[in-house]
Amino acid sequence: MTRHLPRRLPATAVAFLVCGLLFAFATIRSPDFASASHMRQLLVFASFVGFAALGQTLVILSGGLDLSVPWVMALGGIQLSIWNGDGMSSALGVVLLVLIGGALGTVSGLGVTALRIPPIVMTIGMGGLVLGYLMRVGLGSSTAASAPAAAERLVNDTILGLPLIAYVWLAFALAAAWLLRRTAFGRALYATGANETVARLAGSRVAAVRVAAYAASGAASAFAGILLSGYVGQTYLNMGAPYLFSSIAAVAVGGASVLGGSGSYWGTVAGACTLTVLAALLPTFNLDAAWLNIVYGLVILLAVGINRVAARAANG
Amino acid sequence: MSALAASVRDAGFVLKRLPRGEWGTPLLLATLIVVDVSIQPALLDVTQIGLLIQTALVAVLLATAQTLAVLARGVDLSVGSVLVVTDVLTATKLGGLEGDRLALLPLVLAVGAAIGLLNGALIAYGGLEPFVATLATWAIFDGVALLVLPTDGGAPPQQLTNLAIGETAGIPNSYIGLALVLLAWFALRRSPLGVRVLAVGSDAERAFLNGIDVRRTKLIVYTLGGFVAGIAGVYLAASTSTGVPTAGDGLLLPSLAAVVIGGTSLAGGRGGVGLSVMGVFVLVFIGDLVAALQLPSWVATVASAAMLLIVVSLRSLPQVLARKETA
Repeated sequence: MTRHLPRRLPATAVAFLVCGLLFAFATIRSPDFASASHMRQLLVFASFVGFAALGQTLVILSGGLDLSVPWVMALGGIQLSIWNGDGMSSALGVVLLVLIGGALGTVSGLGVTALRIPPIVMTIGMGGLVLGYLMRVGLGSSTAASAPAAAERLVNDTILGLPLIAYVWLAFALAAAWLLRRTAFGRALYATGANETVARLAGSRVAAVRVAAYAASGAASAFAGILLSGYVGQTYLNMGAPYLFSSIAAVAVGGASVLGGSGSYWGTVAGACTLTVLAALLPTFNLDAAWLNIVYGLVILLAVGINRVAARAANG
Repeated sequence: MSALAASVRDAGFVLKRLPRGEWGTPLLLATLIVVDVSIQPALLDVTQIGLLIQTALVAVLLATAQTLAVLARGVDLSVGSVLVVTDVLTATKLGGLEGDRLALLPLVLAVGAAIGLLNGALIAYGGLEPFVATLATWAIFDGVALLVLPTDGGAPPQQLTNLAIGETAGIPNSYIGLALVLLAWFALRRSPLGVRVLAVGSDAERAFLNGIDVRRTKLIVYTLGGFVAGIAGVYLAASTSTGVPTAGDGLLLPSLAAVVIGGTSLAGGRGGVGLSVMGVFVLVFIGDLVAALQLPSWVATVASAAMLLIVVSLRSLPQVLARKETA
């Protein structure tokens, strides 16, 4: 267990350093970058990635992967707007959808643990089932339903100058850090990701831990989809598509091992901020979405490279 | 009593054989074909089948590239991005406003192989996980494709289009394309390289101890995969007569699904392109059946996902049962 600590801390620190340097650079280039309204906007954007990647972090730490994130996100946004149209209370809808996301994740987790289906396959299959349902309820990628008011308030209302969602995100980040570092669940999660057999022999409830990670991913993805629909003001079938990539990229940039067993949610938070700052920085160079893709790819390679060097240094 | 015991033993034998996917996949595919043909007998026609193969060929090529990576105990998330790069190059550099430059086709194919080479180098010599390396190149080359052609358009050479959708001596060229893919695979499988790929995939350490250059083998595998995915891009542009820089978005997950339904093990070293091609056609016939029954398109999506999960569960069943017995 102690093996993780020296590797985890520098990786998270490096991720925040990279994010901070990028932000400083962007502010020097255009001082408006650090204006209150722009910062608020960046925080909201980062929170979408942050929530989509919250469960992904837990799943990856446990040695798995969740490829159903985009479709569960779309489910969160689309189903809430449908229920809203039917007159259901938004608060109830949000709670129900987070529970449904969690239930879908639980099914994925059971498939991975009890049926021994490889995580990639199980979550592609789950994503396909959810996509099928969304197609059935009749929202093609071209048509859009308006977003519910509750979701809009979460991303638009501010308290003490910060968007409401920033506080929610902070609360979840603190909770995730506590869960990972201070609880038996967290220790079992790292142990499972590092070496499942050893973890089982050491008495960790490996299967329960893995199922919990997928359940968290489903719940967090549904919530991220609700947030996204609130910001965009509408919902559509492919709304979650970019988050398949960015939820994994945030975890990788945050310094976690994609094989599991090492990493932290704070690293992912830094990764989400890094990706968001980059997305906002490139247009100031007149570089479009094509370059954003290229830079994202290079950042992943760079982050993984830095972490390998850091890990080698830490291991002597 | 002994007959019962024998039949139970037979059932156990059947289950044990399933993981290899040696007959389970052909049986599944044959069933789907029989049902589909009985519903729409008009399908039994050289031209109709040719069209079916034509629409499936891009998925076949991507599944082939994916299979190579999976056999070597890896994964290639960049197949879709290699496809879009060669797709837009075909639409803008080979064809386009200034006339056709078919002589550049080998260069376009070399670009696909070069991206594969980069994947292989990052994985074999850079020591990156296949998942991470190809996640990065996926993003990078999706971006490159958008730089080459920001929106749908371009004009692939007419000759390539004729080749892709035409016919030779009354046989649609798509048959020939499919046959070439399978022939190339069976040749590779029997070659020393094919043996090395399977050896590296099943146990890299043992392969190394047996004198196999593991890194070089992985480098070749991903280069070959890039080359094949590149052909898929050229074929897509040619057969649709246009370039689409985002065409790869929806193709990655189906390529993995086809490999898995076919029966190639994600743990490496077991399976093959022949199985993955069957996996592709399982998905194709599910879609075709749903269309024939005039069901809404969501049914095909749900059925494909359910098929994936059912097939994989059945394959892992013997393993799960065996574990229960020992526990």
